[in-house]
Amino acid sequence: MVGSARCADRTPQRGIPTFLIVTAVLFLFAMKIFAQQTPTGHATDFTSVEYYTAPNQMRMKSRLSGAEAQPMEGGSLLIKQLKLEMFATNGTPQVIVNAPECVYNSANGTANSSGKLLLQNGDGKIRIEGEGFLWRQTDEFLTISNSVRTTIESDQKMAP
Amino acid sequence: MKKIYFIAIAALCGLSVRAQTNLIAPTNSAPRVTHIDSDSADFDMNARTAIYRGNVRVSDPDMKLTCVRLVADLPQSGRMNHIVAETNVVIDYTDAKGQTTHATGDKAVYNYAVENGATNETVTLTGNAKVENAQGCLTGEPITWNRAADHLTATNPKMIYRQNLNSTPAETNLPTANTNQMSEPK
Repeated sequence: MVGSARCADRTPQRGIPTFLIVTAVLFLFAMKIFAQQTPTGHATDFTSVEYYTAPNQMRMKSRLSGAEAQPMEGGSLLIKQLKLEMFATNGTPQVIVNAPECVYNSANGTANSSGKLLLQNGDGKIRIEGEGFLWRQTDEFLTISNSVRTTIESDQKMAP
Repeated sequence: MKKIYFIAIAALCGLSVRAQTNLIAPTNSAPRVTHIDSDSADFDMNARTAIYRGNVRVSDPDMKLTCVRLVADLPQSGRMNHIVAETNVVIDYTDAKGQTTHATGDKAVYNYAVENGATNETVTLTGNAKVENAQGCLTGEPITWNRAADHLTATNPKMIYRQNLNSTPAETNLPTANTNQMSEPK
């Protein structure tokens, strides 16, 4: 019982510095988040790369880039001159998406805009245009909301 | 289920539409351009599928298609191999002679495949399927147009021939109800 009482007596003495440390860490962490969420400037040549899983972990799966990236509240980025490229495991481009600007949210992996979008496949023979889009990076799903136009170029067939 | 092949009938009635392979001069190397327009669309890059919604219009040099919803496989390159058009499907096809074939249905499925060097290209219409041109009207369930072999196949077919075959080609492209008399086949 005595031993227990001593331990109980010592616990508050050891708990104060621990509490202070935790508080300080939390405060610094909160300040860091606050700084990230506040628009403080912009960056150029923004790039976010996703790689394939093993055994192709060295191969790029997609690359999202922009000429200019400006932080917005909520952790999103306003990207100008967006370019999204998706690659096959052998490195050949499969899909290329271009948009004058969009809002990219790295937390949920989405990019959206009310502006124009141009998507084309690797050889450029299939082109998709439209206005207003939402791109979900996690399941690679693109929604175009308005005025969608797909252009497909194929070789002319020859007479038998 | 009764199934009749319409190769001979279609040839007689002019319902047989010339396959795309016969329309293009061998010297023409310009790319063939197809447009798909719609109000909105979803593209699943994993499944490589495109879903077009609302006021869907497809046009290429010799065919126009309209519908409410269209689902197409997205190929890595080249051409689309599988397309499904749904709800109020209307197809207008113009052959090399300028003759128009008008097809309607609730659903149209386009398939293209090359197996062992042979091209298989079909359009299958279901749901109040109907194909008509200046010479007559064919209904059936389904109606399959084999574009590679250039013939129509219909299950439970019904043909309506037009008696007046003296109209000029320009007139034959007008709506049938206004320009031609129709009669049931005997």
